[in-house]
Amino acid sequence: MRKLISIILLGIVATGLFMSISQIPFGEPGERMGDHFIREGVKETGATNIVTAVVVSYRGFDTLGEVTVLFTAAMGLGAVIGLVRRKKTHPVIEPASLIVYTGCRFLFPVILLVGTYIVIHGHLTPGGGFQGGAVVASAFLLMYLGCRGKRIRENLSRGLESLGGLLFILLGVTGLLIGGDFLFNFLPLGEAGTLISAGIIPLIYLAVGLKVGSELAGIIDHLIENTDELSE
Amino acid sequence: MVNPVLFIVVPLGLAFAIPLLKYISKKIIRFVPALAFLFNLVFALRLIPVVMDHPVHVHIGGFIPPMGINLVAGPVGMLFVVLIALVGFLVSVYAFHPVKEKYEDRYHILYMLQLTGATGVVLTGDIFNLFVFFEILCLASYSLVAYLGNRAGIESAVKYLIQGSLGSGLILIGIGLLYGQFGTLNMADIAGRIHSVQPVSVYVPLVLFITGFGVEAALFPLNAWLPDAHSSAPTTISAVLSGIAIEVGLYAVLRVVFTLFGISNMMGFFLVLGVLTLLIGELCAFSQDNIKRMLAFSSIGQIGLLVFAFSLASTQGITGGFFQLASHTLGKALLFLAAGYMITRTGSMEIASFKGMGKTMPFTSLAFTIGAFSMVGLPPFMGFPGKFMILKAALHDGQMLTLILLGFILIATVIEGAYFFRVVQVLYFAGDDLPDRERAPAAFSRLVPIFLFTGLIIVLGIYPSLITDLLDASALELLDRPGFIKSIIP
Repeated sequence: MRKLISIILLGIVATGLFMSISQIPFGEPGERMGDHFIREGVKETGATNIVTAVVVSYRGFDTLGEVTVLFTAAMGLGAVIGLVRRKKTHPVIEPASLIVYTGCRFLFPVILLVGTYIVIHGHLTPGGGFQGGAVVASAFLLMYLGCRGKRIRENLSRGLESLGGLLFILLGVTGLLIGGDFLFNFLPLGEAGTLISAGIIPLIYLAVGLKVGSELAGIIDHLIENTDELSE
Repeated sequence: MVNPVLFIVVPLGLAFAIPLLKYISKKIIRFVPALAFLFNLVFALRLIPVVMDHPVHVHIGGFIPPMGINLVAGPVGMLFVVLIALVGFLVSVYAFHPVKEKYEDRYHILYMLQLTGATGVVLTGDIFNLFVFFEILCLASYSLVAYLGNRAGIESAVKYLIQGSLGSGLILIGIGLLYGQFGTLNMADIAGRIHSVQPVSVYVPLVLFITGFGVEAALFPLNAWLPDAHSSAPTTISAVLSGIAIEVGLYAVLRVVFTLFGISNMMGFFLVLGVLTLLIGELCAFSQDNIKRMLAFSSIGQIGLLVFAFSLASTQGITGGFFQLASHTLGKALLFLAAGYMITRTGSMEIASFKGMGKTMPFTSLAFTIGAFSMVGLPPFMGFPGKFMILKAALHDGQMLTLILLGFILIATVIEGAYFFRVVQVLYFAGDDLPDRERAPAAFSRLVPIFLFTGLIIVLGIYPSLITDLLDASALELLDRPGFIKSIIP
């Protein structure tokens, strides 16, 4: 009986999903917002990467929200994982092999450079603050694997995290004061396609990159500290 | 006039700044949340007369909707902003006396983010932006439930996390389906087009939204997480979860049902669902020995009553619903704070351990009693006008189903009265063999919020007309769907 009811319910939901999805005109032009972004996006925002134009300009408030979601998750993780941590011990750390160690030291600055490039060119080419920040954080993950025993300074990473968030909000409030709207693009748009263009978009992505990079590195740090203890 | 976006941005900015402020002084961070919500409270109250005249629209980034994100500060939004700021401010005063020394900064950050998320949900006019703020609210709530770090807290936080994330996932799928069909995320824009497609192709998004938001709104049968989470969280967080978080979940359900989809033929279902939630909540509350669990189940019951009131879909019913919502927010925050303060003295959550507290902590016991009487609906406290308005609206509705359900509501109120009076009886008339307790010096930061909540409940109980204008305007905003759409998408 229970199975029969489940199957019937599943059927109803599946039919509904099918009816909804079959209405969606995949890949066809004429979407209300999508068309506008493609045609007017570069003119209105100065960013040649339309995804960035949507993420940072048209829907910049969502991005502020997403940055906050990540911040909340990192804070919550820190608060909860810290509770489980009982005492600070220093287990004997087996050093990584020469190949891993050398590779890490060689790759670390290169990865940082690539991450920074992706952040700074977010308004021109695919990428941006979130992606670049994640790449930067991966450099720190590699360092934890290769150069064991080294730690990022928690105070520094949390300070950068705060600065990134505050910079984002400061840019938004400046727009409110100058243009009358929060996150208003108050800088000149410049010539589309050049590095210094698109007004505040690169600055916002810089703030996002700073925040995401330090946040993810902090999360990795928290999780590593904890497995150290579980392994005992 | 202050721009409504600042109600979100100021607490958010201060939350971001706390890790830096910590370097200046560890002592000042516990005053930051109070500062942020005092700002919100003062400026939101000053904005209300403007909003009563015409809603304030904010275009983020200067893009006209539906291209950009917009905020709608109408009567409904501002009513919630004021409630959130009021409870946020008073509860953060209560937390001047820290809950726990360790990780105090993280507690304050998460607390501010939780309420910022709630404020964002009620102000935004964009369905995806609503989802983002809803996530902030939920994520902060999950981690705050586990903040005390005891076994019960972590276990209930995980339960809450699993059910909540499942709900969020469903909402996201619903948003995706709507965006696919209409190519827009603005709520007014979607609402204006939703009747242009066949109803059968939008019923799945509707079901997904109601189920997803229903988890946070604690609708039966999606509320299994609530009693554990509300009872094992720190006192201040229980007050916010019960007084703000579930109400904001309910707000999201109301927005979806009344504004986004504009359905009127499902109200019978919601009436029955509301009364079912009410009866189950009150019956479970009746059988509890743990005071915080009792209050948590009572919250489920009250949400059921609110769902019933809103589903009457008449001006009277919705006004009554909003009054009862405000009354529940203030009353439940007071009850949790007062109970939490007594628990710090007795060291136990068992109702039986509260024997003779009327003598040891006369003021807090009195405040608890007033909160309990208001919750039951006794005059002259705030619960009375709320329940009376709902009763009148239901009688005015006059349908057979409503009248039968009204009978069940009266039964539920009797049950509610029974378990609240039982606690009051333990406080004052529990016999002679009282445990010997010293009268400890009172913590003023804890007594002041309790006193202010009590005062508000009495004042608004005697003069309900202080807020009924705003509530009438809120009811009109919910019912006048074409007007709402037209004010945003001309």
